[in-house]
Amino acid sequence: DESGSGNLLRSPATPLIPHPLENSWTLWFASPAAKNKQAAWESSLRLIYTFSTVQEFWSLYNNIHPPSKLAPGADLYCFKHKIEPKWEDPICANGGKWSVNCTRGKADTLWLYTLLAMIGEQFDYGDEICGAVVNVRGKQEKIGLWTKTATNEAAQTSIGRQWKELLDYNETIGFIFHDEAKRLERSAKNRHTNSD
Amino acid sequence: DDEYEGGVTGQRKYTRDFLLTFSDQFNDLPSGFEIGPDMVDALMSGHVAASHLVDRDSY
Repeated sequence: DESGSGNLLRSPATPLIPHPLENSWTLWFASPAAKNKQAAWESSLRLIYTFSTVQEFWSLYNNIHPPSKLAPGADLYCFKHKIEPKWEDPICANGGKWSVNCTRGKADTLWLYTLLAMIGEQFDYGDEICGAVVNVRGKQEKIGLWTKTATNEAAQTSIGRQWKELLDYNETIGFIFHDEAKRLERSAKNRHTNSD
Repeated sequence: DDEYEGGVTGQRKYTRDFLLTFSDQFNDLPSGFEIGPDMVDALMSGHVAASHLVDRDSY
């Protein structure tokens, strides 16, 4: 063990030994109340906590609402440390996102499995992952998986396929480029799809 | 693109099943956690939200 710590014992019986994550991840939250008070979405976005071990992840996750308990209008983000969940972030700027939709109250498991896949580095193109967001709305919940290089079709196709497998999600999912979403808003077209 | 094939050696990879084995072992807030009072109700689950609102001088 080059780290000298020898602490990667993979047994749940040793919970006090930290299990470090490959990346540190930051949780961000935009509450609907803050959005109402302030015109700019950006000013409603708050950094909540940065975690870097399995234990810290669960300590955080077990104390915050799952998507089904968040108010309509809330957005919850989990992004790699130092990547801001904004189109303008230099690492996100040339990226895009895969999206899955579900009816209100049904995203909890999909969100958890997305988080576990990211922090557990289950994607072959893990370096391409920026983070994930769940948008809670009145009638639906949408999860977005943000990636770095929208034009890297091989990476996006792999990530989309693996994400569907990890979520056991059977419907077609689409990938939208951030720069097109920014320019065209709702008329932005899917540039990659996965309907396997 | 081949550099990505098979994953990068040395990565700390954890499967979902492995991570889930820890799911009920860590219920206290992580160290250094701070959140504005305006966020507590919106984001925090009942247990913590309530504990923030308890008036300990009631008795």
